[in-house]
Order: sequence, then C-alpha cells, then structure tokens
Amino acid sequence: MGLDLDYLARTLLLSLRGLPVTLGLCVATLVVSLPLGFMLAIVGIYRVRVLRKLASVYISFARGTPIVLQILVVYSVLPSLANQVAIRAGWDVDVFALNPLWYAVVVFSFNTTAVLSEIVRSAILTVDRGQYEAALSSGMTSRQAYRRIIVPQALLVALPNLANATINLIKGTSLAFLMAVRDVTAIAKIEAARGYDYVESYLAVFIVYVFVCGATQALFTLIERRLGIYRAPVVAF
Amino acid sequence: MGRPFNPGYILEVLPRLLAFLPVTLGVAAATAVLGTMLGFVLAKAKLGSSALARGLADAYTWVLRCTPSIVLLFLVYYGLPALVKAAFGVDASRWHRAFYVVLTFTLFFAATMSELMRSAYLAVDRGQREAALSHGLSEFQAFRRIVLPQAAVSALPNVATALVALLKEGSLAYTVGLVDLMGQGSLIIARGFGAWSLETYLAAALIYWALTVAIEKAAGALERRLSVGRRGLA
Repeated sequence: MGLDLDYLARTLLLSLRGLPVTLGLCVATLVVSLPLGFMLAIVGIYRVRVLRKLASVYISFARGTPIVLQILVVYSVLPSLANQVAIRAGWDVDVFALNPLWYAVVVFSFNTTAVLSEIVRSAILTVDRGQYEAALSSGMTSRQAYRRIIVPQALLVALPNLANATINLIKGTSLAFLMAVRDVTAIAKIEAARGYDYVESYLAVFIVYVFVCGATQALFTLIERRLGIYRAPVVAF
Repeated sequence: MGRPFNPGYILEVLPRLLAFLPVTLGVAAATAVLGTMLGFVLAKAKLGSSALARGLADAYTWVLRCTPSIVLLFLVYYGLPALVKAAFGVDASRWHRAFYVVLTFTLFFAATMSELMRSAYLAVDRGQREAALSHGLSEFQAFRRIVLPQAAVSALPNVATALVALLKEGSLAYTVGLVDLMGQGSLIIARGFGAWSLETYLAAALIYWALTVAIEKAAGALERRLSVGRRGLA
C-alpha cells in the first residue's frame, strides 16, 4: 500500500504539539483525583455511615460505565448547567467560551477518583494495624500517624497500581476529542480527515502513545526504587 | 439542552436501546473467545523456553497496554483494508464493521488474558504438576485435571475485570459506525437532531452499569463455588 513516511513524520511532529494538552490533562486530573480518592478510601475504611453507601454507588457507577458515555453525559449537561449557575449568581462570564479542557478535567476526575479510591483503600489495608497503634502509643496524633507512618508504606504498595491507573488515564484522554479538546489524538484525527491519510496519522499517534507510556512506566519504576529504599535489607557487619 | 431534562424519556428509550444489546453482547462474546485463544498462545510463549518467543510476546503485551482503544480501532479499520488490498488484491472495505471491531478488541483482550493466564499458571505450586506426573498422568492430563482448575479459580476475579473492561471499551465501536447499543443510541440522537441526548446517554449508561454489576456478581458467585476445593482438610 506504500506508507507515506514524510506525511507520517509531519503528523508525528504536529501531534506532538498536543502532548502538553494530553499530559496537562492527566496531571490536572491526578491532582484533583488523588486527594478525593484518598478521602473516599478513608470513608470506605472507617465505614462512615451514609457517605459510605453513597461512595460505593458512585464508585460502582464510575467504574461500571464506559468513559465515552461519561464524557458524552457530562459534556451534554455541564456547560448549560454551569451557564445557569453563572446567570443565577450574576457572574459575568461566558461559560460557552470556556476552554473545553476544564470539562475534560471534570470528566476524567470523575472517572479516575473512583479508580484511585479503590487502589488507595486496598493499599492502606495492607499496612498492619499494629503500625497505627504503635504510632499512637508513641504519642502521635491520628493525623501524624497517617502522614508519617501509614501513607508512606501504603504509597509504596500502591505504586504499581497507580502506574496502571496513570497509563489508563493517558489512554483515556485520547477520547477528549469528543469534547473538542485538541490533544494528541484530536490533532491526528483532524490531519487524517484533511488528507485522507488515516493510516499514517493513526500510526503517528500510536507511536506517540507508546513513547509516553514507556516514559510513564520508567518514571514510576524510578519512584518505586527511590521510595523502596527502606525495604533494602540491613547490611550486617 | 433546549428542553428541560425529562427522566421519563430514559424509560422510553431503554427498550429501543435494549433491542441492540445482542449486537453488543455478541461482539463482546466473539472477542472474548478469540482473545482467550490468542491469549493462550501468548501465555504459552511467555512461559516457554524460547527466548525469542518470550521476548515477542512480552513486547506485544507491552505495546498493546500502551495503545488507546480508539487509536487501534481506527488503525485497524482504516489500515487493514489497504493492507489486505496490497497483499491479496481483495477489497476488504466492504467487510462488515463488526469484523474490524472484533479484530481490534481481540488484539487487546489477548494481551490482557496472556498476562492473566501467566500469573495464574505461576500461582499454582510446581509440586502439583510434579505430583500429578509421578502419579502417571501425562503432561496434558496433569495440566487439564490438576493445574488448570486451580489456575482458573485464581484468575477468575481478574477475568471478570477484563470482561468488564472489554465491554466498556467495546462501546467505542460506534465510532466506526457499528450499530450496537451505543450506535443505536447515537442514531436515535442524530435522528432527533440532538434532542434528548442526555436522556439517551443516561439510558445507555444504565444498561452498561447493569451489565458490569451482573458480570461482577456472577464471577463472585462462581468463585465461591469453585473455591470449594480450597478448603482445608479438617
């Protein structure tokens, strides 16, 4: 069929311009989702009454429906909802001129928070209860015990799953074109439609994603090695 | 959203979407069967002695893990006809869309399944196979009667997760024009010039939600049943 390699290289460079959008979207989503996911995990572990039920319904829904549908639902309701709120509150903002990136952050955070809360919950539960009790009996407050003793250990356990979730998030953001966000996939899609060079365009994004994913994986391996230092055996004299 | 939200319309549109549930489930089932077969081959390569086969299978899994479904779907849908034409001179562009969808998701599912099978196989103690062999079972019998049943139980929760992921990702098939549950949903919306889009999407979301909960419940029940043999001796 003869691949047009020049075209492929051009699209590759062009779609790289969407990389900051893709990565920015991922980072913003993680920044929103990590604390929320952590709080949800705590709600689950401590069986906070009503909240726990609500949380489990939310988690089941967010993990049980396709992300495309979550995007389509939010994108068909959020802009007009935000507009209503803006009008009622008398804000002088044009909601419809807002960068669609914000809607994308909302959707992906909705989805990722549920995933992260499950990861955090299972990671915290792997830390022995005795650790917490020992921390309290050494005079730490509950907050300090979490901050200094529980979380550092749980984080290490959670890292492989966090890497997975991050990679899934990066892949998931390829659907942001549905919200008119110009990320890597969207740019390639536009190029593909312009020149009917579908194969070259999608090969180009394919290459970009494989590289981004490789870099993410390497980053997590590095973090795991750093944080795991305390696990190294004590050197005997 | 020109009109106010009408929850009643969700109930109205549900049966019209459910009429296309067999397409969604059929595509998922075909993918699951083919993906499991390919996954088995990959898992065998990963556990085998050939370094080349192992490397290829690992590389395949790694690359597929990094590929967004939509990208591979477009690549297969647009790329395969050109490839087939160049290689065999056959016009593949008229083949049914379901074919491309099943092919794409089979490639993904096989990667997931191969990892699953590998770890499940390794989770069964080596001694089990050795004991079976020393009882006079053949290698195949030892696998079929001793190792497989135990590996299957330990893989079950992950298989359920993989099936749920398959079902959810499969919803992207509408982007290449397959009329399944999602495809029918977007057709309904298009015919109504975008009216009732929220209600239609919510109805579709409810169906997917019910399906994933059903898969998880079924897997849980099956796991409890199959774990009977794991009870202690006392």
